[in-house]
Amino acid sequence: MSHADSTTVLRTHGLRKEYGSDEGLVRAVDGVDLDVARGETLAVMGPSGCGKSTLLHLLGGLDQPLGGELWLDGHRLDQMGEKELARLRRTAVGFVFQAFHLMDELTAQENVELPALLAGRSPRAASRRASELLGQFGLADRASHLPSALSGGQRQRVAIARALANEPLVVFADEPTGNLDSAATLEVLRLFDDLHAAGQTFVIVTHDERIAATADRLMTMRDGAFVDETRLTGGTTGHLGALIGLED
Amino acid sequence: MGRLFLVCRLAARDVGRRRGEAAMLVLVMMAATTALTLGLVLHGATAQPYAATRAATAGPDVVAVGDTTQDGVTTPAALAALQSLKQAPGVTDSSGPYPVAIAVLKFDGITGGAEVEGRDATRALVDQPKVTQGSWVRPGGVVVERSFADALSVHVGDLLTLNGRSFRVVGIAVTAALPPFPEICRVGCNLYYAQTTSDNTGLMWLTRADVQSLATPTAPLSYFMNLKLADPAEAQRFAHSHNFDSPSPTAPFVTSWQSISQQDATLVKSEQLVMLVGSWLLAILAVASVAVLVGGRMAEQLRRVGLLKAVGATPGLVAAVLLAEYLALAVVAAVIGLVVGWSAAPLLTGPGAGLLGTPGAPPLTVVDVGVVVLVAVAVAAVAAVVPAFRSARTSTIRALADTARPPRRRAHLVNLSARLPVPLLLAVRVAARRPRRAVLNVLSIAVTVSGVVAVAIAHARLSGSHLVGSSGLDNPRTDRANEVLLVITVMLIALAAVNAVFITRATAQDSRHLSAVTRALGATPDQITAGLSLAQVLPALAGALLGIPGGIGLYASVKHGGAMAYPSIGWLIAVVIGTLVVVAGLTAVPARVAARRPVAEILQAESA
Amino acid sequence: MQQEVVLAMLAKEPSQGYELRARLDQALGPFGEAMNAGHIYVQLGRLEKAGLIERRGAAKSSDGRDRKVYELTSAGQERVTEWLAEVSWPKPDLAEFHLKLTAAAAAGLADPIGIIDGQRRELLRRLRDVQRAAMAEPDHSDAGLLLEGVVLRLQADLRWLEACEANWTDRRGTS
Repeated sequence: MSHADSTTVLRTHGLRKEYGSDEGLVRAVDGVDLDVARGETLAVMGPSGCGKSTLLHLLGGLDQPLGGELWLDGHRLDQMGEKELARLRRTAVGFVFQAFHLMDELTAQENVELPALLAGRSPRAASRRASELLGQFGLADRASHLPSALSGGQRQRVAIARALANEPLVVFADEPTGNLDSAATLEVLRLFDDLHAAGQTFVIVTHDERIAATADRLMTMRDGAFVDETRLTGGTTGHLGALIGLED
Repeated sequence: MGRLFLVCRLAARDVGRRRGEAAMLVLVMMAATTALTLGLVLHGATAQPYAATRAATAGPDVVAVGDTTQDGVTTPAALAALQSLKQAPGVTDSSGPYPVAIAVLKFDGITGGAEVEGRDATRALVDQPKVTQGSWVRPGGVVVERSFADALSVHVGDLLTLNGRSFRVVGIAVTAALPPFPEICRVGCNLYYAQTTSDNTGLMWLTRADVQSLATPTAPLSYFMNLKLADPAEAQRFAHSHNFDSPSPTAPFVTSWQSISQQDATLVKSEQLVMLVGSWLLAILAVASVAVLVGGRMAEQLRRVGLLKAVGATPGLVAAVLLAEYLALAVVAAVIGLVVGWSAAPLLTGPGAGLLGTPGAPPLTVVDVGVVVLVAVAVAAVAAVVPAFRSARTSTIRALADTARPPRRRAHLVNLSARLPVPLLLAVRVAARRPRRAVLNVLSIAVTVSGVVAVAIAHARLSGSHLVGSSGLDNPRTDRANEVLLVITVMLIALAAVNAVFITRATAQDSRHLSAVTRALGATPDQITAGLSLAQVLPALAGALLGIPGGIGLYASVKHGGAMAYPSIGWLIAVVIGTLVVVAGLTAVPARVAARRPVAEILQAESA
Repeated sequence: MQQEVVLAMLAKEPSQGYELRARLDQALGPFGEAMNAGHIYVQLGRLEKAGLIERRGAAKSSDGRDRKVYELTSAGQERVTEWLAEVSWPKPDLAEFHLKLTAAAAAGLADPIGIIDGQRRELLRRLRDVQRAAMAEPDHSDAGLLLEGVVLRLQADLRWLEACEANWTDRRGTS
């Protein structure tokens, strides 16, 4: 099984994760095969409890699989120890969470600097990168605000900036719009769209059909396994007018 | 009334839900209350045994020592003056005068001194020493005073030499006429020999003839006499008037039984002091421990506070509910401490071999009980009052939403930490989140190190005062003091260790989110472990450095008389390093456990 | 589109046919192109016949444009007021799809799950298109608001389809 295909950034084969035992055994991830190409946005949908969050944690090295292979940019993750996984999280992977998980006592700027500091970069370099990202996202005037002074959409955008601080290969997002209202969701979607256009690879787990609709590929998961894969190519039947009640 | 009932019920329910933690709280406060009880109880611990000995031996109300010249000779006039005391007003009975000689004692490689009183085989009317093993004096047979016998490790049947002559030990006895070893010279002894000092000389009895054979021209006999008064309470006045109002140059020196009793009490004075000081140190440590536990609990209680306020409880009532359980636990700790201290007291307050019997139930006055309960309640109150009131004043909505007080932002610390390597970065940020806890940490270590330093100085002084020229002769006074010092030191270190573990647990719990996010961003578990551990080691360093002058100051303020001693720099450095190593060790394990918990779990939980 | 819409657009001021069309076009934003222009004139005719509007003005002008001006009658005014107070919501179309599934399963003509998946993909494609349009709109535009309404309804429909899929999968399992 060659992993040398240069456009494949993430690949798994037979990935497994289980919890509990005997009666209480839960196959959270049950033999998942997956390929993600560079620059692709992959959306994973499914009912709650289907294991999509668990899958995301496995792919991003936050959790160890029970079985199967997992390759990220040619590195084999399922055989790595916690320390190596941590290093990987600094350099190749960025995470965005539903609850944002920003540090409440740090400003937006300081939050975005954190991954760079953890990676050992100088405070000045970290600060520069943070300012650059926040400026790119239109948050330059909010850089010295605490998270409590930011709206939900702004907080999640700061979190996304943080995920990008060390220029990761893949950004993993777990229900990124779960805690956001429509307007904020739109902000975040715009951001994802811009980043996607710039070539960033995304794997997004979501309930939100809006994200799913704009992804390159949509996988549906049920009971730990993929049951459907869709590429939404082509136009739509009917015309826009019918959507709002305008008849012919 | 209903409100009181409500407070009690809520407090009881909460304690019932957290039995383990309640037990820890009680244990921690118990250390302080037990030490305090012991300290208070040592006061007067020898009064009962002295009375018992006096009764069993027909102890004298007054002991008279015949006057001697500069060369130690007792002139006939002095002897007559001594004997005339038998007819003094107020005297009802007497025994003696008995001849007393000082001799060089050699036994089992030990060289010491013996003050030997010559006695008759028949019972004396006043002061007949009670034989606890063997039998009374006979020609060639010596009876040894019990505390002296213990110090020498001598038994009935052993052979010892006095001034070169061999005697067999035929009995061991106790008396109320003289203080036990090593205090007998308080009443009177003439130390003629270089080998004899007040610290290595004890009491023995021989027949009159044997004692007379021990006298030498350079070490002549002196004479003791025991008197009973019509009114024993008058003994001190009797002694005073005979010692200071009498014009005669050959008057004997008179000591009252009260003075002798007080000498016995000095046995336990230093122990009492150590216990009392130790209990205050332990109380401070207990305050720190309880404060850490309480602080953590208050954060969890926030939702409960919100519910109470939503149904109409005033902040005062809410604070009462929060405090009630800690005060109740404090009272429990006080009661347990009183019981444990009271039962354990005989181990430390045993009057020693020199007096009969154990104190039995040491007297616990109502005042003592009140003091212990008050101290325990004060510990809980000091620790819990501020967090309780702060919680009670949180707005209802905030409390219901259970948004715990977010840590205050400290910009300069955040900036500073950015320049440090990752573990130190984490350590500074973690410690900065809860400055009060860091202060408690410093305090706890400072108090412990102060205690250890003070104890070490005291111990060194005690060993320094050890006996001249005697190998292996135990000084019961310093032995006991050392024991007590050891007990207090162990308790201090144990409580400090418990504190360290509490603080680590609370810190790890508190910084779960920080750890999880930082790990998701790429920090290795080792970096997190080091950070969490360093967050405590750094305050411990500050505490240890503060504890050194603290301990020296403590000893200086508490010693009565005697020179000041300072520990060597090398030893101090060893203590500081030792403290850091121990703290690092204690915190590493909980830190490691916290650092290895699955990240995903924590992040899911925090977002729920 | 209901005729009351055209009626209401005349409530502001009497207008010519092409002015009405322009106003509707602007309000519908990207959906404006979907509107059939001729439909408006049909509606205007019906309204005139019902006596709710009346025509005024000159015959054809010099450039051939229809210069008729339409305006509300008092009956028309009343109807507009009434219509504004009504609370009926556009009719949902769920029955048809539901019956489609039942019929397919009963007659063995097609797999209901397949039908649902197909419909889902279609709705997702529509959602994608609407989403792209929404992202191109400036914030707080009227059209943006309309688009949000579409997005939310598509989401609701998609959720219903998910429920259908779960239901029909279970049915298959237990049968």
